[in-house]
Amino acid sequence: MIDEDVYRKLFVEESRENHENIVRSLLLLESGEDQQTAIDEIFRSAHTLKGMSASMGFDAMEHLCHSMEDVFSLIRSGRCEVTVPLTDLLLTCTDAIEVMLDEIEAGGRPSDEVSGSLVQDLRAFTDEEVSHEPPPLHPTPDSEPASGPVYTLSVAIDPASAMKDVRAMLLLQNLDEIGTVLGTTPARDLIEDGKFDGPFEIRIASEAGEDALRTVASGPETSLLSLSGVPEPGHPAPEPARGEKSREIKNIRVDIQRLDQMMNLVEDLVINRGRLEQIARKHGIKEFDEALSMIGRSVSDLQNLMMGIRMMPLDRIFNRFPRVVRDVAAHDGKEVEFTIEGGETELDRGMMDGLSDPLLHIVRNAVNHGIELPEVREAAGKPRKGSIRLAARRDRDNVIIEVADDGAGIDPERLREKAVRQGTMTPEAAAVATDEDLINLLFEPGFSTTEAITDISGRGVGLDVVRKTIESLKGTIEVESEPGRGTVFELMLPPTMAIIDVMMVQINARRCAIPITNVVEVALARPEAIHRIGDAETILLRDEILPMYRLEDMFGLSQRCDTLVVLQNSGRKCCIAVDTVDGQQEVVVKPLSRLAGSCRGISGITIPGDGEVVPVLDVNTIV
Amino acid sequence: MGRILIVDDTMFMRTLLKNILFSGGHDIVGEAADGAEAVARYQELKPDLVTMDVVMPKVNGIEALKAIKAADPGAKVIMCTAVGQEQMVKLAIRSGARGYIVKPFQAPKVLEEVKNVLSA
Repeated sequence: MIDEDVYRKLFVEESRENHENIVRSLLLLESGEDQQTAIDEIFRSAHTLKGMSASMGFDAMEHLCHSMEDVFSLIRSGRCEVTVPLTDLLLTCTDAIEVMLDEIEAGGRPSDEVSGSLVQDLRAFTDEEVSHEPPPLHPTPDSEPASGPVYTLSVAIDPASAMKDVRAMLLLQNLDEIGTVLGTTPARDLIEDGKFDGPFEIRIASEAGEDALRTVASGPETSLLSLSGVPEPGHPAPEPARGEKSREIKNIRVDIQRLDQMMNLVEDLVINRGRLEQIARKHGIKEFDEALSMIGRSVSDLQNLMMGIRMMPLDRIFNRFPRVVRDVAAHDGKEVEFTIEGGETELDRGMMDGLSDPLLHIVRNAVNHGIELPEVREAAGKPRKGSIRLAARRDRDNVIIEVADDGAGIDPERLREKAVRQGTMTPEAAAVATDEDLINLLFEPGFSTTEAITDISGRGVGLDVVRKTIESLKGTIEVESEPGRGTVFELMLPPTMAIIDVMMVQINARRCAIPITNVVEVALARPEAIHRIGDAETILLRDEILPMYRLEDMFGLSQRCDTLVVLQNSGRKCCIAVDTVDGQQEVVVKPLSRLAGSCRGISGITIPGDGEVVPVLDVNTIV
Repeated sequence: MGRILIVDDTMFMRTLLKNILFSGGHDIVGEAADGAEAVARYQELKPDLVTMDVVMPKVNGIEALKAIKAADPGAKVIMCTAVGQEQMVKLAIRSGARGYIVKPFQAPKVLEEVKNVLSA
């Protein structure tokens, strides 16, 4: 009937939104908050899914959604109660829908293998109740007296009509507009309830004339068999008037790949703008400069616009989590109150995909290993129900995401023991290690995976992967924990990765770019302020002792590095020595090719206007 | 043919309907994703006909229909519905809807209904 592939993408995307809406609302329903809204939302989304899947000919999905809709129709009218088994069943249905959507996305066509039995289960709930919505009140009949000649119409509704009662009612209503329906056989109530077989008769008083009656009585799915006893030939409807042309569409959906292509083009523009600026500086032509600054502004605007378009609210991934928390908590026999804040905070779409799994991991861990069993909590004088808070906010240029639980926390002493036992630390090192050092062990590959996870609240599992992923997004992850009080994971992410402001510096006559967000200040290095502590150099800067790096392993030893750039990353500071500071510039950061492998200290490269390839310093690994 | 405003909360359905209506030579003058938007777009565009989904977030199709009818008693509105919604559609018809189409849409039926309502 329709070209499937054209619609498949759109179908999957919008179906996922509706699917998510159902899951979210089901959980809301279970929590007992704002039940009416939740029920309405589920009903609406199930209905929408039904309509869309029917249009695509995905029968299995249509039937399942239809059954869900029926259940919610009952719940909505208060004739069915929301019980735990029902919620479980409905969630299982949403799982089935998700599987179907995956199948459809992959080009398949879902069968009713699983959904068939779910439909049966749902029916068991609806069959207990008679599912008929109470008919709305009939409006009071018009009191105006009948006038004009009386006609008798014999009308048949197409037996294939999906709603023959509605069709009949529409006909009677339309006839009411051009006359007064005096009576029908069978009675009007019966006709409007669909209780008729074959043709029915209508007596009407009307001054509109036979032609008007014929037109009204021979619409879609409706045929006029006779008028006042005279059999009818076919009667075509007149052509409608042609309307004027104008068209306006407010929103369009664009493939993310096209956005990426556009972004690449914008990046090229930014690079070439830099090049033009350098040429302009060299030649010093005033008019050229002016034109260039105009182009510069447009490019900046374009770039900001593109960034904005790529941004999406974090809700897109947060929405999955309530379900995860519910399931994990149910499985572990825990009680958890899960709250989400700041879901409207926006992040680049590209990062969103990468963030989803690590965050899921952290949230799951928080239930799994953070929150204690209700009895344990009570014994510790805490409320039975643990709480997990997922919060996002914008902090200057960064997006901060926090996952905080009020669970058992991480015991550093246990980590200390374990570090020694696993040989990660020598007993001496372990003895002097700070709590922070110990907690950071959790991010080391392999730490704790060799042992039963509950042994150390199990937070080591996969956290190395989590950190790696976050770092590949140019973000950082930190954890703070207090035994008995809970744990907080804090993720800090740049809102976008592609275009950043950098400070251009020279080290040993080679250029290097430092992200401006990491730069605290630039200072002059006085030789007398530089001190050696062991192998490392430090510098005293306004009452602060900062580690100082010369980056000679990266750039070679420079003879004249008397300028210091003070860097900061997640609260910690250090400084590096550079030859000169060239200035500030907006650049496009390109990731290093896989061929180059990962290069510690370098987060990517950039190509400023002159075509030279300049490394971008990864301050994260230096500080 | 007619200048039509399409109201549905999913782009999928709007696209589907738009293509059917285009194929029938109609002009899609606008789209709306919920009832409130539909009312606003109606006032602004004054289309010849509106296809109105029944179940939508915020303001549903019936409420939007009533609002449009209140502002313009001559408005021609066709309800987009699905099996199981008979009572809602009847309510819509009592509130002034001039026709209805049933999902899954069949192009000839949709076009016939639209043509019929436009010509009335």
